[in-house]
Amino acid sequence: MVAQGIPEETGYILFLFAATILLVVVVRIVISPRDPRPTPEKRAPFESGQISAGPGRTRFIIQYYPYILMFVVYDVIAMFLFAWALNLRALGSTGTIPVLIFMVVALPPLAYALHLANQRENW
Amino acid sequence: MGNPIIDLLTSTYFLEIAVFPGLLSIAILGALLGWMERKLTARVQLRVGPLYASPAGGILQMFADIIKLLFKELTIPDGADRFFFIMSPVTALIIGAALLGLIPFAPGIQIANIEVGLPVFLAIVTLSPTIVLLAGWSANSKFPFIGGLRALFQQTAYEIPLWLSTLGVVIVTGTLSLTGIIEYQQNSGWLIVPQLLGAFLFLVTSTAEMERLPFDLPEAESEIMMGWQAEYPGPLFMLAQGPAFVKLYAFSALFTTIYLGGYLGPAPIPPIVWFFLKTILIITLIMLFRSTFPRVRLDQLLRQGWTTLLTLSIANIIIAYFLVVGIPAI
Repeated sequence: MVAQGIPEETGYILFLFAATILLVVVVRIVISPRDPRPTPEKRAPFESGQISAGPGRTRFIIQYYPYILMFVVYDVIAMFLFAWALNLRALGSTGTIPVLIFMVVALPPLAYALHLANQRENW
Repeated sequence: MGNPIIDLLTSTYFLEIAVFPGLLSIAILGALLGWMERKLTARVQLRVGPLYASPAGGILQMFADIIKLLFKELTIPDGADRFFFIMSPVTALIIGAALLGLIPFAPGIQIANIEVGLPVFLAIVTLSPTIVLLAGWSANSKFPFIGGLRALFQQTAYEIPLWLSTLGVVIVTGTLSLTGIIEYQQNSGWLIVPQLLGAFLFLVTSTAEMERLPFDLPEAESEIMMGWQAEYPGPLFMLAQGPAFVKLYAFSALFTTIYLGGYLGPAPIPPIVWFFLKTILIITLIMLFRSTFPRVRLDQLLRQGWTTLLTLSIANIIIAYFLVVGIPAI
């Protein structure tokens, strides 16, 4: 792409723009008006042949909540490791000690959280 | 130079975006992968599969299906949020195309060779469960809603092992650029040898990310009737099916790039052919998972993702670390 005088990032944005335009055109064709004959039965939500009852967006008990909490915390922690991994050759083992301390701080709470999250009473 | 429009249409740049690594090839390959999956699953189950749509073993079956689905009636369920209902599959398709824009198919054939290709790929992938949840919520129906929430829970199980399995590659190669990773493999051999555990973890977690069996909980057709896709009428169902195949193509291409040397291979065969040979091998492997393994339960997936997969990916990082720094003499 650089050979054609366009920076890579601009090229990528142009590509996404082209994809969006194309798909919007496709969607215009796909949802174009066509002899609709809706009946209340056709437009009812699908419930495996049962007559549908109640609203679709019901209140939902969030299960597995401890896992979601752990995800919010440890997903970010995992990102920090990328900065360390990228510079590992330059830093050598001196860069490892802070990361090691970081992991020692981060992993025991993870183990305890897992211990709690794996108990069925806490789902 | 003559007509500027003809110049634009024949420029390498336009052709790259519109034809080969770009949009047209993604659409055609997506449809062909649909055929391949049906044929392969049929062969595993001692059936024939698509047969009549062309002389060559029904290879045009998916195109016939697309035409059929386009002419179906468009019924949108009562109370659905029309904008999100229609735009969710489209956004998912754009996400799939955005992934393929980062892959180097051959030297010079790549839409965007950006410095941080690997994290950008994984970051874009992170968006797709949200799109699934949005699609499931907007349909105002129970099965799609359950499917969307399952996609969200499933993401918490595989996301961190997916990132950490590629962290091994970053440690060994010292670069985040996909072309840089291939250049490293040109000098030091394929990364699947030192990173075998990482490759295995990446394969498992990317199967979970693609929502394919054994991890196809958001669209489990025998439990919640295609989950988030249940309410889509024919034409939109066609669009909703697309992202699965585009993501299968993109993830197999990424696996080829970071573990199997990408387009590298002995000289007489051109690099692009090597790339597709390896990619199709991985695609076949992932399709065989579908006919081999039973579906896991959501709580099993969460527990294994947070215990087994996470422990193994940390072990993989330690292996990669000692590969780079060397084992200290005690």
